[in-house]
Amino acid sequence: MNAAIALKRGISAELYKFRRTFILWFLILGPAFIPIINLIIFLTRGEQVMANGGNPWQMLLQFSIDPGNFLFPFFVMIVALFVNSIEHNSNTWKLIYTQPLSRGVVYFSKVKVFTFMIFMSLMLFGIFSVLAGQVVGLLKPDLGFDQTFDKSLFFALPFKVFLMTMGYASLQFWMSQRWKNLILPLGIGIGGFISFMILSQGWKYAPYHPYGYQILGLGNLRDPEFQVWGNLEFVYRSLGLAVVVFVLGGVEKLRKRII
Amino acid sequence: MSEPIIQTHGLDFYFKDFKALDQINLEVPKGSIYGFLGPNGAGKTTTIRVLLDLFHPKDGQVQIFGKELRANKVEILGRVGALIENPSIYKHLSGRQNLEVIRKMVDVPKERIDEVLKIVRLVDNADKKAKNYSLGMCQRLGLAGALLTDPDLLILDEPTNGLDPSGIIEMRELIIELNKEHGKTIFLSSHILSEIEKLATDVAIIDQGKILYQGKLEGLQQDNSGLELIIETNEVSQAAELLKSMNYTVSEQNGRSIHVPIVEKLEVAQINKALVDKNLEVYQLKTSEQNLESIFLNITKKLDQ
Repeated sequence: MNAAIALKRGISAELYKFRRTFILWFLILGPAFIPIINLIIFLTRGEQVMANGGNPWQMLLQFSIDPGNFLFPFFVMIVALFVNSIEHNSNTWKLIYTQPLSRGVVYFSKVKVFTFMIFMSLMLFGIFSVLAGQVVGLLKPDLGFDQTFDKSLFFALPFKVFLMTMGYASLQFWMSQRWKNLILPLGIGIGGFISFMILSQGWKYAPYHPYGYQILGLGNLRDPEFQVWGNLEFVYRSLGLAVVVFVLGGVEKLRKRII
Repeated sequence: MSEPIIQTHGLDFYFKDFKALDQINLEVPKGSIYGFLGPNGAGKTTTIRVLLDLFHPKDGQVQIFGKELRANKVEILGRVGALIENPSIYKHLSGRQNLEVIRKMVDVPKERIDEVLKIVRLVDNADKKAKNYSLGMCQRLGLAGALLTDPDLLILDEPTNGLDPSGIIEMRELIIELNKEHGKTIFLSSHILSEIEKLATDVAIIDQGKILYQGKLEGLQQDNSGLELIIETNEVSQAAELLKSMNYTVSEQNGRSIHVPIVEKLEVAQINKALVDKNLEVYQLKTSEQNLESIFLNITKKLDQ
């Protein structure tokens, strides 16, 4: 059997099983959280926010990306838990690994679906943010949302966050797959993120800390020199780590005894 | 005789230093209902996990359909349906949706779902959420999932575990039907002896990781020869002496009765006559066929001694 066909089967089964689950709502509503708050801020206090003038889209972008980037690791940790706990809770590891597909295909299907979910929610985040700006523009025309602005930034920056997230996302995925316990991966993940926050104050190896790539790599939007595709070393580190962890996790799964 | 469906050769398996399986040589004939019998913790589930490559065997240890398991895993699993221990069911999905998840992995036509639902008699409840299913329904749904690919071999681990009597009977009828009408070879593990006795054509008995008997069910009963005579009398010890002098072995002796294995019914009359001649009062003579339960206890006890 062709590997691509096998993978397609694995992925379609993987997607199907999330029907009627909380995670689907979480993947849609999670990315709407910050845009909704921004919508409320701009509708109620838009004048104060824009008191110094400037392009409101630029302000909205800052208001979206910075808090989004801070909250996103927690979102990733929860998604990693969900995609794996659905099997832990239903006793279905032994079911999916006794179907006529190779272990590699079954494992990789889950990895694909996990990364796809993260990617999609970041793109949704971009869409919701732009929509929030449009709605404010309609309801409060004097804030200046009719000015031109390169809205592709609302998608390019989340895409960069996606790439820089893959590193720690792979670690969260691996831990959540390995342990039935929900607290352990969550605790280690939160610990990892907080430890980065502390270490980034002055530790010289902090730029190598996997839970900080997306923070350090994004750069400062207020900086006039700001470039979307600057600081690419963080993207490379994240992707490199992700490839290593996903592959090692796969090798482990090939050899492991499945209970 | 045609080639066995499952064959293992000197299968060993360790959990760290603990030897869970010790030189298991199984031969499961085509078309059989093969009862795999043993007390809890004997190695039944471990064996089944090895047969499904959830635990990896070494090369050359397991052949299914005459092919090496590890090298032909995908092809072999496409012809095997399995139900292992507690049911694997997504509780938030309906029965039909659970089957749809598996169907997407195995790629059979959609109509097959209705067919298997009909076989396991779940059509009426197919669209209920699985979390509202009884344990018996969960087991039947698991079996439906195992049947999706129309496999030649079904591997069922304790399929009646935790079911109530009517659930057990239903499951038993289902297994017999699958074997007789659909021609499937069925490998069935259980610790419930009476269950295997009613179903199996072939049995293997496993204890502490070793196979103690393998062969036809009737063979097991014959080997451990048929009848047992229970004698109730007024002087038990005197009667026991007498029987020993007649070259019988007393298998059990208590205050009221003696148990003696015999070969044929003619001996009952001879024993009775001898007892009466010695002026012993005989209250009751009862023969019973040795059931699988006592055979099983005998076999597994032998190992302890």
